[in-house]
Amino acid sequence: MISVSNVNKSFGDKHVLKDVSVDIPEGETIAIIGRSGSGKSVLMKHLIGLLSPDSGTVTVDGIDINAITYAELRRVRRNFGVLFQGGALFDSMNSFENVAFPLRTFSEMGEDEIANVVKRCLAMVELEDVGEKLPSELSGGMQKRVALARAVALQPRYIIYDEPTSGLDPETSNTIDELIRNLADQLNVTSIVVTHDMHSVLNIADRAAFIYEGRMHWTGTIDELHRSEDQILKAFVTANEYKIGLS
Amino acid sequence: MKFSNEIKVGLTIISATVIFILGVRYFEDLPLFDSTYDLVAEFDNAGGLIGGNIVRVNGVSVGSVKDVYISDTSGKVMVEFHVDPSIPVTEGTYATIAGFDALGVVRMDLVLGPTDAPRIPEGGLVAAATGADLMADLSDKAPGMIEDVNAVVGQLNRVLAETNTLLSTPDSDFRQSLSAARGSVQQIEGLLAAERDRIATILANADSLTSGLNAALGDNGEAVADLIAQMEETMATLNDDLELFHETNSQLNELLEKLNEGEGTLGLLINDPSMYHRMDSTISGLNGLIADFQANPGRYLKEMKIVDMF
Amino acid sequence: MIVVKPTLDIILNPLESLGRFSRLLFHAFGAVSELSIYRKNLWEQMVKIGVDSLPIVTMAAGFSGAVTTVQTAYQLVTPLIPRSIIGAIVVPSMILELGAVVTGFILAGRVGARIAAELGTMRVTEQIDALESMGLNSIGYLIVPRVLAGIVMFPVLYVAACFVGIGGGMLIGDLGGFVPAEEFMKGAREFFQPFDPIFGVIKSLVFGFLITSISCFKGYYTQGGAEGVGRSTTQAAVASCVFLLLADLVLAATLL
Repeated sequence: MISVSNVNKSFGDKHVLKDVSVDIPEGETIAIIGRSGSGKSVLMKHLIGLLSPDSGTVTVDGIDINAITYAELRRVRRNFGVLFQGGALFDSMNSFENVAFPLRTFSEMGEDEIANVVKRCLAMVELEDVGEKLPSELSGGMQKRVALARAVALQPRYIIYDEPTSGLDPETSNTIDELIRNLADQLNVTSIVVTHDMHSVLNIADRAAFIYEGRMHWTGTIDELHRSEDQILKAFVTANEYKIGLS
Repeated sequence: MKFSNEIKVGLTIISATVIFILGVRYFEDLPLFDSTYDLVAEFDNAGGLIGGNIVRVNGVSVGSVKDVYISDTSGKVMVEFHVDPSIPVTEGTYATIAGFDALGVVRMDLVLGPTDAPRIPEGGLVAAATGADLMADLSDKAPGMIEDVNAVVGQLNRVLAETNTLLSTPDSDFRQSLSAARGSVQQIEGLLAAERDRIATILANADSLTSGLNAALGDNGEAVADLIAQMEETMATLNDDLELFHETNSQLNELLEKLNEGEGTLGLLINDPSMYHRMDSTISGLNGLIADFQANPGRYLKEMKIVDMF
Repeated sequence: MIVVKPTLDIILNPLESLGRFSRLLFHAFGAVSELSIYRKNLWEQMVKIGVDSLPIVTMAAGFSGAVTTVQTAYQLVTPLIPRSIIGAIVVPSMILELGAVVTGFILAGRVGARIAAELGTMRVTEQIDALESMGLNSIGYLIVPRVLAGIVMFPVLYVAACFVGIGGGMLIGDLGGFVPAEEFMKGAREFFQPFDPIFGVIKSLVFGFLITSISCFKGYYTQGGAEGVGRSTTQAAVASCVFLLLADLVLAATLL
């Protein structure tokens, strides 16, 4: 259970998050939606303590992550797997090493066991044969899939996806969406998907939280989203559907 | 073959360490692999010696100076140095500092002790001798020389001061002697003044005699008979003079006899001892004069020479 | 206000940078205890910073030794001064100054720029965020090994630079007919100060620390995409050189 309450955050003169509150219940897949620059990514970084709020609290499993030491925060973070926008694979390591990295760093596993886990994770993202390849030798979609394999290698309880489908072709997007849904179902993880892609929101999410101009404008289930009469939300959703209709 | 990172790094670090240690030992003039033999020497003056300078034995480089510093306790210059352990630095070894400080080429020379003597232990003190540093020698000796000159001048001053006090003290022997001497000289002068007229007469007579002789010689000796006659006359005059002189003397004797008997005011004078002394010295001066007259009559009677010519 | 603000910034910006730099170092040294996690990284950085820099460093040092010898010989026109003086000038120059400073400048360019570009890219591609999100201490993981590698390997490179530099000077002196190798070494030994190489090692330690830590600082706090990476890289190389010269002066003034 992650709980964000009354978080404010400014960068210089720019007030990015304005009194944002949202609860993310265990086992659900929640989509944080909003236009580019609305503050989605900033909110996401608050969830794992990469940024700390100017005011308000973020609690993970009841722990206020801004009131604990750095060492404790890092222990909390090990419950998370994060898929960054560009994949954020370590470009000095090949795919296998990237996936093995958290295992080697944090688990007590031997090399054989690690190799097995890495193989299983890469198989899950359907990339068993790219282990020797460096990130620069992979396409954008493949990089994201390897990064996803890395994010889940330690079997986190929370997985955060930052724009998982942006910049990908629709087919690859669908593959990623499918992976996210499968992971949520199989591993019973709590997923937080930060996206502006309504198509994938409708595909994978149980709930949605709509950020508009730094405020938490609307939260609710996908059913409620469909029925909502909120003009701003409707405009955002239809703009996306129009885009989907075109493609 | 591909080496692991650990091996590459390890090899590099070890090679660098070995090069560093051997390099430093090489430049410090130490044997590359043997242990060293550290010693200390104590000097009054380091003569510009610094760490890194060479230590030599009989002109052979055997080690180097590690450090030069002023001892906290003794205030002397301590020189730490190390030499090849094979060098027998025995008891009796002494160290000197040599070379030109101005050129920066200073070194320490060791003069080894007898080979059968026991070795100076590690860290032991080597005796120091004054080095052959000429400039340092000069600078060393200059203060001594100035001291010597000072002493002489001081003594001279003292002598002069003593002389001064001697002269300024009225009762000192020296002053008495000087005044006595002055008194004697005055009396002799007085006597000579009294007799001057007579002596002048004698000399004038002698002069006329000489001119007479000259005239006679000018006439080719024709008037020798006249000359002899004049001579006899001169001799007679001289005789008269001498008789007069004798008379004076006898009168003086008479006076003295009377004085001795204490007659008249002069007799009273004799009671004054200083007066007596003066008289005494006057008389002895007179005696001297007479003795001189007898010994060197020629000085007073030049005419005798003229007589000799004949 | 408009007039005052830029003036204040001139004072405040360096102060702020110094503060952030100190905080980064503070964090980094807090992470030293976790070194076992970063050990592999440390070896890797030692190879990248140290071993891989050997060719360029020794080449530059060899040439500077040779050039110093030739120029010293050129300046010594008086036959009164023994030729061994060339060795007595070249070797201490190498040990005291050139060995460390030439190595420093080369590493400021080679290592400093590389570190800043590497960390800058990691920052803008969110790799640093990825490390953090995994629960890793990114400062410990990225900066400590680089700075430690700099501190350990820089003296090693210094020794190599001195060795090759003195060798180069001696060789060119002998081959060029300026001074025979034996006389060169005799002069060097005559005037050798045991503290000189220790001073050189201290200097190279400080340089190693400065170059790697400044470059890490510049790279770690990169902002603004590819352009930001370029800016950080330039600043890292320039700042490393400037602080290297400053440290050189300060060390010489305090230790010599």
